[in-house]
Amino acid sequence: MSRRSRWITLGAVWGVVVVAAVVAPFYLEGFWLQTGLFAMSAAVGAIGINLLTGATGQLSLGHAFFLAVGAYAYVYLSTDVGLPTPLAAVVAVILAGVAGGLFSPIAGRLKGAYLGIATLALIFGGQHVLFNAEPLTGGYNGRAVPPMELFGFVFADSPGLVLLNVPFGALERLWFLGLLVLAAAAAFARGVLRGRPGLAMNTIRDHEIAAGVMGVPVARYRAGVFVLSSMYGGLAGVLVALVFQRAVPDYFGFLLSLDYLAMIVIGGLGSVAGAVIGAVFVSLLPQLLTRYSDALPLVAEPGSGGVSPAEAARILYGAAVVTVVLFLPGGLLGLATRLRRVIPRIKELRWPNSAPAPASRR
Amino acid sequence: MTTFLELLVNGISVGAVYALIALGFVVIFKATEVVNFTHASLLLAGGFLVAKLHPALGFWLALAAGVAGAALVGALIEFLIIRRARVGSHGVLAIVTIGVDILLTTELTREIGTDVLALGDPWRDQVLHLGPITIAETRIVALGVAAALITAFLLAFKFTGWGVAMRATAEDAETAALMGVRLGRVSLSAWAVAGALAAIAALFLCVFPTPGLDRSTTAAAMKAFPAAILGGLDSTTGALAGGLIVGVTEALMSGYQSQLAFLGRGIGDAAPFLVMIVILLFRPAGIFGTKELARV
Amino acid sequence: MIPELVVSDVTVRFAGLVALDAVSFTVRPGSTHALIGPNGAGKSTCFNVLSGVYRATSGSVRFGDAELTASRPHQVAALGVARTFQNIALSPRLTVRDNLMLGRHRLTRSGFVSAGLRLPSARREAVRHGARVEEIAAFVGVADALPTPVGLLPYGTQKRVELARALCMEPRLLLLDEPVAGMNSEERREMADLIVSVRESLGISILLVEHDMGIVMRIADSVTVLDFGKRIADGEPDEIQRDPEVIRAYLGDIEESAS
Repeated sequence: MSRRSRWITLGAVWGVVVVAAVVAPFYLEGFWLQTGLFAMSAAVGAIGINLLTGATGQLSLGHAFFLAVGAYAYVYLSTDVGLPTPLAAVVAVILAGVAGGLFSPIAGRLKGAYLGIATLALIFGGQHVLFNAEPLTGGYNGRAVPPMELFGFVFADSPGLVLLNVPFGALERLWFLGLLVLAAAAAFARGVLRGRPGLAMNTIRDHEIAAGVMGVPVARYRAGVFVLSSMYGGLAGVLVALVFQRAVPDYFGFLLSLDYLAMIVIGGLGSVAGAVIGAVFVSLLPQLLTRYSDALPLVAEPGSGGVSPAEAARILYGAAVVTVVLFLPGGLLGLATRLRRVIPRIKELRWPNSAPAPASRR
Repeated sequence: MTTFLELLVNGISVGAVYALIALGFVVIFKATEVVNFTHASLLLAGGFLVAKLHPALGFWLALAAGVAGAALVGALIEFLIIRRARVGSHGVLAIVTIGVDILLTTELTREIGTDVLALGDPWRDQVLHLGPITIAETRIVALGVAAALITAFLLAFKFTGWGVAMRATAEDAETAALMGVRLGRVSLSAWAVAGALAAIAALFLCVFPTPGLDRSTTAAAMKAFPAAILGGLDSTTGALAGGLIVGVTEALMSGYQSQLAFLGRGIGDAAPFLVMIVILLFRPAGIFGTKELARV
Repeated sequence: MIPELVVSDVTVRFAGLVALDAVSFTVRPGSTHALIGPNGAGKSTCFNVLSGVYRATSGSVRFGDAELTASRPHQVAALGVARTFQNIALSPRLTVRDNLMLGRHRLTRSGFVSAGLRLPSARREAVRHGARVEEIAAFVGVADALPTPVGLLPYGTQKRVELARALCMEPRLLLLDEPVAGMNSEERREMADLIVSVRESLGISILLVEHDMGIVMRIADSVTVLDFGKRIADGEPDEIQRDPEVIRAYLGDIEESAS
């Protein structure tokens, strides 16, 4: 495929995606909107953990902790401290970063399994605080999340709003906020990965001694990426809180951290696009299974003795992780890239003048 | 004082069980350089087998089946998955074990459901009175069995052919292979042994005073991870020390819960992780772990 | 102004082994100094100490005012010390250009924020340093390979890319770890020529570890010989070649090699 036709195809694909994204709230029902929003928040979180684990090679099992910090900080700052909700959200994200920074004596110096298991302390310690600090966190029942209010526009069901004959409730309004946040988060991460920091991060992953010898302050970078990844986690936490309108401690546990790792492996380690694809896959799966549980043979209602949709989804993407690692090293994105290269090659048999796209950092 | 002694003895016996789990974890790491995140589900599998089989087979046969079963599951994981995934970097291998763990744990917790399964052990809720302190029989047995197994293991590691092969592979797999060590066998046996140890640990984690095998057993098993890390991931002595430290910490924190109420309920569960962090701050490779030569 | 590299009494002990035993030598400014010795003599250990990767048990390494034994690798790099690795340490999935740009790390400044926001300062910096990378690639002879992922290149070219990356750091001292290992005789000659032209156009100090005596004779101004971690000879190439200690270290005792 020549460069020009590649650009045209890319432009067309993006065009379709953008139109579909903008038009979606007018056509999709609540269930799908919530699923989509949930996928957007997962994508933001996945982009973050990808920066840390995919791009820099630092295994972290603690991502869920930073989502918790973001969610609960948002609730606390907007409800108890009385900050306007947009400011509360921003400060919540910053606080998640601060939390990540406090962990930096560990995050900067450890790597591999040591770091992975050390981050478990964040999860278990964090859950301990969430369950016990009742005045702050509401304990086991969690807390209600106030809706976002931006320049007088409330992202809730009331006051009512009707656009083009479609009632625009909380989910429809949040949809666009989610898209904007995801787009900004993705663009920023991409910039980081393509620029000087991304190169340093990749080298730390591939060859930490060479990185150091080339002048990269490895410990500082590791700590820095940890902070950045925590902020992404915090942002995902704020989004998830807004979508569910509730923050409960049970959600922010070990399994959520595992979910995020599954996302980036399945989607394709090391790239923003891979993280988003993986996030969509992992978030959509349980919802699809729930929705169509009647049609599927093994999946049944929770508690009825069959496989509940959530469990079935977990089993499926646990298997997907193993499959991807064994057979599809680049994840779903890698698969798509390889298919994309196969197609021009088929075309080349008829029009032999195309050159394959060069590899690049994504 | 009595309380303290009781807590200490309890802590040591639970710690010995954690040491068993951590030991399996360390053995896998030393032999194959893989960080095995499926360990908790191996434990669950072993315990589950015992729980399901003991009505039919009686306790001892069921236990044997559980141990063999967990060993088999471990060996299968190694053979079918880890071996194929050798191509990847260690981070990727760790993630594969995470994937397998998600699979196994979900399936097993689904089978367990909301039940609390008894393992049918012969010691039940009997307690022993040793002077002023009262200890559950199960805890005494746990301590004895764990101590015996760990000693046997460490001796085997040092003196048998298998142990030497294991250590040689841990130091330099390539050279070991050139010297005739069958890496595949070493790897397989490491995983099988780890599974077996995990199953025995499962037994002691699920008997009195614990209500039984239920969903939360995995959480208990997970405490072996900080035990292995704070002792040093590549050190069997470290696994022992780490297990004991975690066990004693947990027992003391849970035991003095009322005095430590300001730290919150369930501090005993979170405390081992915090102890791990403190130790890692001073010894990033764990207490007995080998420090890396190269600095960055 | 390039300072001397003064290695004094450096000892490295680990796991009961003495890898380096009170090794001393000096690399005069702008000269090419070779470090040779049989396998296991401690040459790579020495390099690792010089680049800050290994901690010396005792002794000192001074480069101008700076004490290298107290510095971490990135601090050593900041002093203008660059090195290549015996087994190539490039990122195989990244392009040659990207690998070379890593060499510019200490000379560039854009961080997370300016890169993430794609600020003009970051973009200008990337363009400016990208141009310099192209110049260096052309000098080394790998300009054609710039867009290619390093893993796809032949071994000899990869070695050149390693050298180019070290040069991208604009070093004052270049540490080359077996630059011609694994190359055929023509590649070796080309590499040797390249090293000579680096010295001539840039005037930097070069310390190289090498087994190929032909190369050493051709390009080195002075040579230090290590055996079992100790320095056994130090001087000009032709003196070294005739030194009986050196001959014995490489070939063993005459009686031994005869039987």
